[in-house]
Amino acid sequence: MSDMWLAEDQDPRTAGNPQGEKATYAEYLANYRLTLGMKCDDLTPEQLATRSVPPSTLSLLGLIRHMARVENNWFQRTAQANGRDRIYWSEDDGDLDFNAVEPTQACVDDAFTSWRREIAAAEEWFAGVPESDLGRELPTAGRTDEVVSIRDLVVHMIEEYARHCGHADLLRECIDGRTGQ
Amino acid sequence: MNELDGMRRWLGDLRGTVERKAEGLTPEQLAARSVPPSDLSVLGLVRHLAQMEHHWFVRTLSRADEPQLYVPDGDWDAQFRDAVPEEAVVEEAFATWRAQCARSDAVLDGLPPEALDFVWDPDDRIGSVRDALTQVLYEYSRHAGHLDLLREAIDGTTGE
Repeated sequence: MSDMWLAEDQDPRTAGNPQGEKATYAEYLANYRLTLGMKCDDLTPEQLATRSVPPSTLSLLGLIRHMARVENNWFQRTAQANGRDRIYWSEDDGDLDFNAVEPTQACVDDAFTSWRREIAAAEEWFAGVPESDLGRELPTAGRTDEVVSIRDLVVHMIEEYARHCGHADLLRECIDGRTGQ
Repeated sequence: MNELDGMRRWLGDLRGTVERKAEGLTPEQLAARSVPPSDLSVLGLVRHLAQMEHHWFVRTLSRADEPQLYVPDGDWDAQFRDAVPEEAVVEEAFATWRAQCARSDAVLDGLPPEALDFVWDPDDRIGSVRDALTQVLYEYSRHAGHLDLLREAIDGTTGE
């Protein structure tokens, strides 16, 4: 395809024709985590922190922090009921993930380290879920009376990544014109 | 809720997002390329989503021999380029998209839950019914992300 910047044999994403429900979710999730990361390739801290589609307050760096928070919220706080507070969030600022972005290497390193740590922890948990458990319901962290099935949790994550990859498409195109992947 | 019912609920929610993102806009606003240099517009995306629904549900899952929508003579850019600010173009696009959604729903009505496991081509990048439906949800979600920023740039409206 013409709108790709990596050669096909360099693309880390897979098309493994997964069989079964769990394997399908795992492949989609892995590929769209990679897609979001690829949208951030070859940019400076200033570019990553830029709110490049005004009036939106979104930035690529904000999206990485946001997804670290979302991975943590669903795979640690809900799936494993770890009882801890959200990350990149405060009582005073529910949008701390986007609002507290700084155009520094330290902020970039912190965000990507957190995000990769949360992905690894999420993958470790999901790998241990039996296929027959996908319909099992879990209490939703921070929301009494609400439950979510493992299936819904994972499909929600795929959708959340996909929607934010859509944001990343336009944020990136407005930074340096790069599209695709 | 079983897997297929869950997918149908997600699909319905995402179509609702498209309706809300387009609600109350004039033909000029719908056709505006509001996040330059991108050539995306709300109207172009509605046409693209009609093509996408038709491709997966009618051409692929139903094996119907029908040409792609909005791709005259293999011209893939037409779906966005020809999304011009005219009332007739707007009406046609939304009518086509809604009609394709109804056709897709009819296909889904005839699909037993176990059909999700059906593989028509193990070598195809997307070769099973489950994979195709997941791809549809993914496409809608990614384009909903585009719609979020296009709409916010038009009139400041945000939200699900």
